[in-house]
Amino acid sequence: MPDGDRLTKPLTREPEKGGDDTGPTRPAVPKPDGGNELLRRMKKIDPDQAKRYRQRSGQ
Amino acid sequence: MSNTSPADANASAGLILAGIETEYGFTVEGRSADDQIEDAIAFVRGYPGPCFAGWDYCYESPRADLRGFRLDRLAVDPEDAKRDTGKTYGTPHEVRSDRILPNGARFYNDHGHPEYATPECWSLDELVLHDTAGQFVLLRAARVLSEATGRAVSVYKNNTDFHGSSYGTHENYLVPRELGFERLYAAVTPMLIARQILCGAGKVGSESGPRADFQLTARGDFFAEPANAETLFRRPVFNTRDEPHAAPQTWIRLHVISGDANMIPSCTRRKVGLVKLALMLEIAGQAPRWNIPQPVRAFSALSRDETREFRIALDGRNWTTAYDVIESYLAAAEQTLELNAEFKSLVAECRELLSDLAGPGALAPRSIDWAAKKELLEAYRGEAGASWREPVLQAYDLEYHNIDPAEGLYFALESMEQVDPMPSLDERLARIESAPERTRAFARGLAVSRFSNLLTRACWRSITLDLEGQELELELPPNKLYSAQLEAADDVGTFIQILRNS
Repeated sequence: MPDGDRLTKPLTREPEKGGDDTGPTRPAVPKPDGGNELLRRMKKIDPDQAKRYRQRSGQ
Repeated sequence: MSNTSPADANASAGLILAGIETEYGFTVEGRSADDQIEDAIAFVRGYPGPCFAGWDYCYESPRADLRGFRLDRLAVDPEDAKRDTGKTYGTPHEVRSDRILPNGARFYNDHGHPEYATPECWSLDELVLHDTAGQFVLLRAARVLSEATGRAVSVYKNNTDFHGSSYGTHENYLVPRELGFERLYAAVTPMLIARQILCGAGKVGSESGPRADFQLTARGDFFAEPANAETLFRRPVFNTRDEPHAAPQTWIRLHVISGDANMIPSCTRRKVGLVKLALMLEIAGQAPRWNIPQPVRAFSALSRDETREFRIALDGRNWTTAYDVIESYLAAAEQTLELNAEFKSLVAECRELLSDLAGPGALAPRSIDWAAKKELLEAYRGEAGASWREPVLQAYDLEYHNIDPAEGLYFALESMEQVDPMPSLDERLARIESAPERTRAFARGLAVSRFSNLLTRACWRSITLDLEGQELELELPPNKLYSAQLEAADDVGTFIQILRNS
């Protein structure tokens, strides 16, 4: 990171050439019978799941 | 009903037509990425809801560049291309599986991913509803594919496979052509870089450059140039594709490809709202000017900043912060624009989150995906004594984005009221079949739901009807306020007449 000055304001805009001035209800998630729903789901996840996850490149 | 053009007449009021297109990740049990194009075709074609198959490709121009030239070809990811060695998928029309939904959305397969492009919306809240409604469309199609194949299908609203393949969530903003590339680039690029602190989805690890434990964004590893028209390889921070999907002499569709897929609806709203704010300011000639000489490096550095200092290098060895960049837009908007209630709320919310991130960071996990994900992972690490390199952390990252409400970790947080709430289920379900009012999507959607027997093709820009053997293409200008009376048209003649008089 450079060690120049911190600028807290933007640059002054240059005048434009011409132009004009035109300008819930919750989802159907089953409620846990007590305990922590997040932990319950985390325990079910295969630890190597993302290691196997492969996708085609997209945009 | 007024014929006033909101985009022309009062863009400062926030009336910029916008949409979001999301390529979803997905897995089919027992299948691999080598099968993904065939699986994506089957995924989309199995959608069980009402839809029309007949997308009109005649106005597509993905190789046109806003800077006034046209690429000979678009680059492809060489690693990805290896998967297609020796394979043939048929003609482009045989491969493409576009479906137009009654809500005006386009559901299709783009390369190897099912993609949902929302209908065009005027308001942020309406766009969030349609973005989340898209998740139901994907889920319905996934369940049909699973039943048809007997294989488990999982769908992820994310942007990476953690192994170097990325797929996008793109935003589209229709703005007047006279803004041109240079003004758009100057006005929007600083915001694209800075906004990630308020709307990044977060990611465990890195897929290019030095190793990172955790990043603010999923896409930060995939940008190679400040500006170009590419989307598959050598992606830019600012995309210059010039494909307006409207009269090209009048409109530019700003195609933003640097954002992440968000699970928290308020994060989606903020992501789009901040770019709209930059555009509204530029239309008014008031957008701040920040000279960021190396946008790619700045984007990546911010994504990897775990200090929450969020520095951005400027010209001449000076620097600023993402806080100051965003605040400059918020202040300019308050001082120079007549903000409607939606944007006043956006400005207030962003200020609150900026203040929180600069301080305790207690609010951020409720409203920002990266912060929610990081808090979840840090809690696990504290409990299990796990390092960031444990594979299970990327597994949790992936499952945060699982769109099945009964499985995804985001939805667990939502059910436990740990994150900002979803819009109501009724509102989201209604958007599967109803288009945003007063938009051209409203006319497109009605053509699909009411006159599909006469519809020969349709796209963002027009619909074409077969009237007793004569084709009639009806242009759908984007800046019209489409009449609600269209819905009451009993016959196609009345529909056309109201459309023309809207």
